Amino acid sequence: MAEYSVVWPRGPKTAKLVELAPRLDSLEGRKVAFLWDYLFRGDEIFPILERELAARYPGVTFVPFSEFGTTHGEGEHEVLANLAHRFTELEVDAVVSGMGC
Amino acid sequence: MLRASAAAELAGVPTSSLVCEGFLGQAATTAVGLGMPNLAVAPVPGHVDTQAADVLERNVVEVTLPAVIENLVSPRPEAVEVADPERTEVVFTGSFEEVNRLYYENGWSDGLPIVPPTIEAVEEFLSYTDLDADHSFGPLLPDNRAATVWSVAVNGVMAGCRPEYLPVLLAIVEGLADPAYGVEHSGNTPGADTLITVNGPIATQLGFNCEQGVLRDGFQANTSVGRFLRLYLRNVAGFLPWQTDKATYGNTWRVAMAENEAALAKMGWEPQSADFGFAPGDNAVTISRYTGGGVVTSVFGSTPEEMVDYLADGLAKIGGWEYVFTIGVAGGTYRPLLLLSPVLAETIAKAGWSRADLKRALWEKARIPAWQFEHYLGHWTNLVPGRRSLEDFVNMRRAPKVYAESADPERLVPVCTEAEHISIAVTGDPLRTNAYVFAHNGMLGFPVAKKVRLPDDWEAKLAAARNR
Repeated sequence: MAEYSVVWPRGPKTAKLVELAPRLDSLEGRKVAFLWDYLFRGDEIFPILERELAARYPGVTFVPFSEFGTTHGEGEHEVLANLAHRFTELEVDAVVSGMGC
Repeated sequence: MLRASAAAELAGVPTSSLVCEGFLGQAATTAVGLGMPNLAVAPVPGHVDTQAADVLERNVVEVTLPAVIENLVSPRPEAVEVADPERTEVVFTGSFEEVNRLYYENGWSDGLPIVPPTIEAVEEFLSYTDLDADHSFGPLLPDNRAATVWSVAVNGVMAGCRPEYLPVLLAIVEGLADPAYGVEHSGNTPGADTLITVNGPIATQLGFNCEQGVLRDGFQANTSVGRFLRLYLRNVAGFLPWQTDKATYGNTWRVAMAENEAALAKMGWEPQSADFGFAPGDNAVTISRYTGGGVVTSVFGSTPEEMVDYLADGLAKIGGWEYVFTIGVAGGTYRPLLLLSPVLAETIAKAGWSRADLKRALWEKARIPAWQFEHYLGHWTNLVPGRRSLEDFVNMRRAPKVYAESADPERLVPVCTEAEHISIAVTGDPLRTNAYVFAHNGMLGFPVAKKVRLPDDWEAKLAAARNR
């Protein structure tokens, strides 16, 4: 019976492991930004999260998704390229990003 | 959405990503490709689009919110790097059946038998390019693996391609790696599939069918090249069903298509690749992602004027939710495709119409009521939140004025923003009066075309291949 010595069909990885940003001690007194892909009811979900987080952390503040524009679709590349600058400008401490549906 | 989270983490800002329950597996594998396998996800139960407001609120408060807080204030687990084999490393030796079983069980094949990719077989493919085996066309998301010439050859072998198809395969992958194409969207839930169009003398040289049954399997070049693309998306881009390929239904790959260059030359029409700057006679490959298609059967008429209403009707009816790529999600990126059989195209050309003339006439006629267009955007779907009218989009300068020429909901509006956005290809049974229309996936598979680069001694190699 013929035998075949075969190679792997995948390509080499280009993304190295990236360390995540340090987590916060608390959300108290922090500024949380919302990023939205303008799909799947983020416009209803983010206000719920904002209300509930504010109830638990009275000093937390928020940056609405409208500050950034859609993270999906025609503006994605530009919006993502500009995020670091916008976070510095707006003094953002944490991000909630949606919606993966 | 996860790409946005990754960009935030890179900027030093901790994130929590909101993911519906059915998409947690996709999120996990996508995060690996982003180099952040420990990216923090907060689940949303079920799917939000079917939940009443009170149910959605309860789910968010009881399930999503605690995870969001945890994700932002608790340390994340360490990420672990997994080593891959070197490209020439033999990963297995065994019989045809054993090789096939291994590839299937590892998710490297589509379930049909593959040709075992031995080093000898891969190297034979590589003899049909002057590019180095390590040359990369760029990384492909979601797995972020390099689209190397070597990996193209391996998957070409597996798909059942002949070695001399390699220049076409390389052009396809160059197209996948073009950011304008948007390969990262290839696993979206509508489950669209890419159509490959081959133009130029190479189509005939390699035996691509461009006549009867052009979209049917049964012709080695068309079938194996189409299969190659799906295998490549699986193995290098990383689109696997039940993980990153979230097609709700999906279908098998589309076989590659060739235009009938002889018919085009006779009519004096340019090929489809001319839309991308290629001249007649240039070897080129176009890729574009279509959500579905349908036949327009038995077109009747001896003049273009008699035919255009029916062809335009086909173009208008094949689309629906896809019009969010005309206005809304990614305005102006909807590119429907019309395939004309040569006998139809020749009848139109004989009247003195160019492809541009036909596009203009189709654009004028391929229209639907404004109310229906608006319902696709934000009533029957919620793809464009806010339930805006077409007048709103025109006022926001996100749509041309033609969409708000009156306030009458029954007014007819075009399915794409410009006549040039309608693609036309001449192919299929030369003497049958049928056409075919494809609805397009907008920026989630935007059309791109690439030159087919041949090795210096192509003619000699091709002659040798024919005698093999």
